[in-house]
Amino acid sequence: MEDQILALTAELAAVKSAAQVTNTMFAEAYYYLTIPLMVLIHAGFLLYEMGATRVKNVLSSGTKNLLAFAFTIVTFYLFGWWFYWALPTFPYDLASGAGYMEISGIEYASAIALPWGDSAQYMGPNMADHASGVFWGAFALFAATTASIASGALIERIQTVGFVICAIVLGSFAWVVAAAWGWHADGWLVTEFGFHDFGAAGLVHAVAGFFALGILINLGPRVGKFNADGSANHIAGHNMPLTVTGLMLIIVGFFGFLMACIILPGEGWSWYADQGTTIYGTPMTLSALAFNVCLAASGGIIGAWIITKDPFWMMSGCLAGIISVASGLDIYFGSTVIVIAMVAGMILKPCADWLEGFGIDDAVGCVTVHGTIGLFGVVMLGVLGSGAPGLGAFAPEDTVAISLFGQIVGAIVMFLLGFVPGYIVSWLVHKAGMLRIPDAVQIKGLDAVKVPAQAYPESMVSPNSDS
Amino acid sequence: MGYFAESFAELYNADGWIDMGMFIGAGSSAAGWWTVIASVMLIAVLAKGNADEQEHYK
Repeated sequence: MEDQILALTAELAAVKSAAQVTNTMFAEAYYYLTIPLMVLIHAGFLLYEMGATRVKNVLSSGTKNLLAFAFTIVTFYLFGWWFYWALPTFPYDLASGAGYMEISGIEYASAIALPWGDSAQYMGPNMADHASGVFWGAFALFAATTASIASGALIERIQTVGFVICAIVLGSFAWVVAAAWGWHADGWLVTEFGFHDFGAAGLVHAVAGFFALGILINLGPRVGKFNADGSANHIAGHNMPLTVTGLMLIIVGFFGFLMACIILPGEGWSWYADQGTTIYGTPMTLSALAFNVCLAASGGIIGAWIITKDPFWMMSGCLAGIISVASGLDIYFGSTVIVIAMVAGMILKPCADWLEGFGIDDAVGCVTVHGTIGLFGVVMLGVLGSGAPGLGAFAPEDTVAISLFGQIVGAIVMFLLGFVPGYIVSWLVHKAGMLRIPDAVQIKGLDAVKVPAQAYPESMVSPNSDS
Repeated sequence: MGYFAESFAELYNADGWIDMGMFIGAGSSAAGWWTVIASVMLIAVLAKGNADEQEHYK
């Protein structure tokens, strides 16, 4: 009998070990696969941006977009990842010490997120570490997404290297600070204000959108955008089908982006052994995403259609629909999502027109789609979700719940974290003579001046190009 | 340069692989030096890229 018990115990241990291996490999594969899905966001932004550009500038826009992706990922490796782990409690704790969950602070960040010294073992191939690389990869793609978001607004008149510098500040610093404060269980916006932003409506979209606004103010409009009396001209891109298809690819990538926002169970870094959660440790499932993302995308298209009848704005509405509910994808009911997303789709174009009235030339509606709708989504969760717990079951009893006040504070912080760095860095780049392309070059066409390749056969030239 | 282990036998135990870097230069200052080189190259590329770009606009 005793021998049988011993044998069964050994067998049980072997089964548990095998189950753990399966869980670990599944978790690693899950996050790994979110990375190529998020690369589709960039494929989408590339098509979207090039399609919205005139023929004479199309390759120049593509070059800029590709460099935003590349430089953001590299610099996120060198220092961006460290900021995420180092800053959650700052400036509440000026020394940036560890928070309640003890997975933050300068000491913790320096132990796991620097590509030198002892922490280098978690920033490269490691025999036993199945988590650091895939988490870093997912976050690096979030970072690159912020840069790609801003990129579209600035087409046809921003210098390449000047833009790259702005993209680095946005992707490897500004949004990272927002994530540390509002997308981390130790973040002070979460612990002190109950700020909740499951799908990053504020900390990715609003930050990127208003960062772009800060740049746009210093950059100025494209030549020919505004008349002497202040009225605006529509500058059509050269390929609407490319743009609309690109937007649909962005939506495909969003499924990967949002999937990466779920913390899987059963690992050393999981909140629970048997349940998936949000990044805050609150309940979350892929099924919730399936309901709400599909409905949000559809609601946004429908809302934009009834106002504009224009496929460009309908696909922008699709994006806006998802962004408008991203903060509360974990706790919204499907029909609620339809309503919010439709409203987002309806207000999109009027908001973009309102911004243009101030002389801002946002070539693709980036500030409105990502900035304005991002903040709308953050605040709407405060209106509808007040009282929901801000953290999971492990949290201290006095944990602050979601509230309208907390969401408004979060929205203001996200606006400032986007707009202020965007304005300052672009002002500095402008002073260095690296921001705006000379008007004569804009008129001639950027590709003819600085790209040693042709987008289309020689016979196909832009009617408004001198080249 | 070279690799830090001649055999992986000692790096595997009842808990599986030991938690350590398996890249070339792991456990030494090499990672830091590669990071310095990469950073300098990035800055140099940006400087050269900007110089080329300004030349195009003249």
